[in-house]
Amino acid sequence: MASVTLKGITKRWNEFVAVRDLSLLIEDQEFLVLLGPSGCGKTTTMRMIAGLEEPTLGEVFIGDRKVNDDLPKDRDVAMVFQNYGLYPHLSVYENIRYPLKVRKVPKSLHSEKVRQAAEKVQLDHLLERKPRELSGGQRQRVALARAIVRTPTVFLMDEPLSNLDAKLRVTMRAELKHLQHELKITTVYVTHDQIEAMTLADRVAVMDHGIISQLGPPEEIYNDPANLFVAGFIGSPPMNLMKGKLHDNNFQHPNFSISINHEANLEEATLGIRPEDLILCAAQKGVLQGTVYAHELTGESTLTTINVGPDRLTIRGPKEFKINIDEAVGVQFEASKCFLFSNQTGERI
Amino acid sequence: MGNSIRKQVADLFQFALILCAAVVILVPIYWIASGAFKQQVDVFQLKLLFTPTLANFNEIFRSPYNLHEKLLNSTLVAGTTVIVAIPMATMAAYSFSRFRLRFERTMFLMILSTQFVPAVVIVLPYFLLFRDLGLLDTRLALVLVNLSLILPFAIWMIKGFIDGIPLDTEEAALVDGSSRLQVIWNIVLPMALPGILTAAIFCFILAWNEFLFAVIITNSKAVTMPVGLSLFHAEEGVLWHLISAAGILIMLPMFGLAMIIQKHFVQGMTLGAVR
Amino acid sequence: MRDRHLKYLFVLPALVLVLVTSFWPLLQSFWLSFREWKLSRARESRPLWEPEFDGWETWPYLLENYQRALEDDLLWNSVQVTTTFMFASVIVSVGLALGLALLLAPGGKFRLTVRTLLILPFAMSPALIGISWRFMFQPDFGLFQAVFGAVVPGLADVDWLGDPTFALIAIIGSDVWHWTPYLTLVFIGGLANVPRDAQEAAMIDGASSWRVFVDVTLPALIPVLAVGIILKSIFSLKMFDQVYMLTNGGPGNATQTLAHYIYFHGFKYYDMGYASAVSYLLVIPMLGLTWLYMKLVFLKR
Repeated sequence: MASVTLKGITKRWNEFVAVRDLSLLIEDQEFLVLLGPSGCGKTTTMRMIAGLEEPTLGEVFIGDRKVNDDLPKDRDVAMVFQNYGLYPHLSVYENIRYPLKVRKVPKSLHSEKVRQAAEKVQLDHLLERKPRELSGGQRQRVALARAIVRTPTVFLMDEPLSNLDAKLRVTMRAELKHLQHELKITTVYVTHDQIEAMTLADRVAVMDHGIISQLGPPEEIYNDPANLFVAGFIGSPPMNLMKGKLHDNNFQHPNFSISINHEANLEEATLGIRPEDLILCAAQKGVLQGTVYAHELTGESTLTTINVGPDRLTIRGPKEFKINIDEAVGVQFEASKCFLFSNQTGERI
Repeated sequence: MGNSIRKQVADLFQFALILCAAVVILVPIYWIASGAFKQQVDVFQLKLLFTPTLANFNEIFRSPYNLHEKLLNSTLVAGTTVIVAIPMATMAAYSFSRFRLRFERTMFLMILSTQFVPAVVIVLPYFLLFRDLGLLDTRLALVLVNLSLILPFAIWMIKGFIDGIPLDTEEAALVDGSSRLQVIWNIVLPMALPGILTAAIFCFILAWNEFLFAVIITNSKAVTMPVGLSLFHAEEGVLWHLISAAGILIMLPMFGLAMIIQKHFVQGMTLGAVR
Repeated sequence: MRDRHLKYLFVLPALVLVLVTSFWPLLQSFWLSFREWKLSRARESRPLWEPEFDGWETWPYLLENYQRALEDDLLWNSVQVTTTFMFASVIVSVGLALGLALLLAPGGKFRLTVRTLLILPFAMSPALIGISWRFMFQPDFGLFQAVFGAVVPGLADVDWLGDPTFALIAIIGSDVWHWTPYLTLVFIGGLANVPRDAQEAAMIDGASSWRVFVDVTLPALIPVLAVGIILKSIFSLKMFDQVYMLTNGGPGNATQTLAHYIYFHGFKYYDMGYASAVSYLLVIPMLGLTWLYMKLVFLKR
């Protein structure tokens, strides 16, 4: 058990900077998710913790020990890979046993430990199979079992669920969450899927272009986005963002204005509001007016997209709600549910 | 209706063309093979029916032809070349496949470009060198020159196979606690083994069929099978029935080996270009 | 041991061996090409030009081997033979292979069986092909003689290996037989990589199968065709084994390729300096083709 500390790490390949001066303290037993679009540097950050990449600059600590110069095998971490990284020529049993073998754990303990790990992920009946005889979900479990068979200091998981189908992903997500709770091992988890991040994480680090854009518990990331990037990335469908001016406690959009308590005056500002905080109403009653562009039923709710001047807004409504395309509608919302961002810096104001 | 008849005619036409191609491929091979079982008089007649004999195979192994010596030379030379080349090639291929090296491109291109140097160009200095060292007409000399032919090929082929092994698996082994050497021994080699064997077989075929080096560097003791083919002369002319018998011994083993690796045969020859 | 040392250690043996076995002789023959060395007469090579002895202004002596080569009609003859051979064998084998690949691409049991046969000619020793072709082109009892004579009456009395033109055709034929099946396999591989959905889209858009071939299949096949053409050109340029076994350059010098010419001067006349100079004349076009090939192959990554 240990914390993981990154101190000002940078990874550069020639001109390309993958990770830029990143510092992060991951607490002991914490489940931390690195979330971001592809190419944001999240996987590179994890690979530097694993020792699969050497940081160009900066220091990596596991517990109190600086591990920059340690080989991956000496860092006592376990990793689950996106494509599982199973050994195709070995049976499931041998796959799970491999870490014990190379780490010279006494042979007499092997079968007991493998059995325990396999039981935890419900694989005990498949130990004699080869990886190619398993389904995607089963392979995923083998990778997990191989990670937990010895008790590592840190778990690293690189998009472990991204190759599974949607249904299995939900099941495995719950299992992962339960497993981490049971084993109480510090976990770093890389994903581009915000639902995974929200459901699994103690804290989420949202990454963008090699830096951490925002770090906090999932509810904070959702309810209190620090900047335009996080606001636009988190939420499905994402937050509605409209450009306008901020003047005398008033946000002015080409098509409407709303009074907002904010002393700043800005020529270029963005107003953000989540789809579930918008309410459709009769055309003349709303804060703003628009015409319906599309109407979709997602199952548990409906999504209505409307055109408002240059912008397109998405509104979440009850599942019984019905409306026709091209109908004129009004939209109501509360100023207190709005977020304001400076266009210049991208930061919340 | 008209369409379906047209399609049937087209299909029949294609079938006929393919059959033609198959016949063109097989007939010369058959003719060589059948010659091996003919008596000398039958060779000079275009008969399809003849009384088969195994006498030719008896004769080629006797004096003055002593083909078993050539067979041994060919096997030893090709075998040694492959045994020396494959481990070296595997190591180099692994490095080229997995690491960023200084001058990587330059080194790689250099190694590959040697593949295209005409053998007749480099054989001159070899001939002079071996003459000075007293190595002319030895198997050792042949192994050395064959290595220059085989090694670049083997590197490219094996690199292609290692490139196909997912990096994930190796990294998983590194994190699981293996050193790099353990990863190579426990993970990469078992996974790349079919590819490495393919390369080995392929290189064996190349070395076995190699002719130019052998014809120049050897003249009696170290003569290989392909060179041995030109030994079957007698006062009455060329001994085609014996050439055919020797020909079977040259081609049949290679056919067998080629069949084992048929899936990868093309890939190997194009130096991985057509993937 | 850290990877940064290991990775060079792994490349080292192969690199050293390649340098020693390929680059050393290349440099050595380059050096020899500026010297005179008749192996039958002298134990040591001798410089063609010694400034302190001949005087500095006579430096063109240094190039004597090259000059001699360029003035030798037989060399130009072999250049012409090699070029003719190269173009003919490349065009015929690539053309036949493309046709055969299209015929065999669809799959099915019959076609897959024939595909397996395609491996055989290429696994065969070129020397064996050469000598057995000589056997089959013999007048009176040669198989080809009989078959061609039966199909085309005009060919019945041709002495294949005794006639300059027919001897060259015989060599081209044996080479085409050797290479076409292999090229076919390469092209079948290329055809398998042509995006199926693009072909289907073209069919739905109303293209005939000929138009689908010209507009979709052929353009997608061009890189593979180019690789096949260049690879075949490289090997044609080096042509030696079959020439040695089938015609030994004859009749006269009608089928003497460059490689055979070099061999002849090096190992029949033992004129090492001259043979080295000529071999460098062969290296130059080879370098061009190799460069093209590398460019094509690496462009794809």
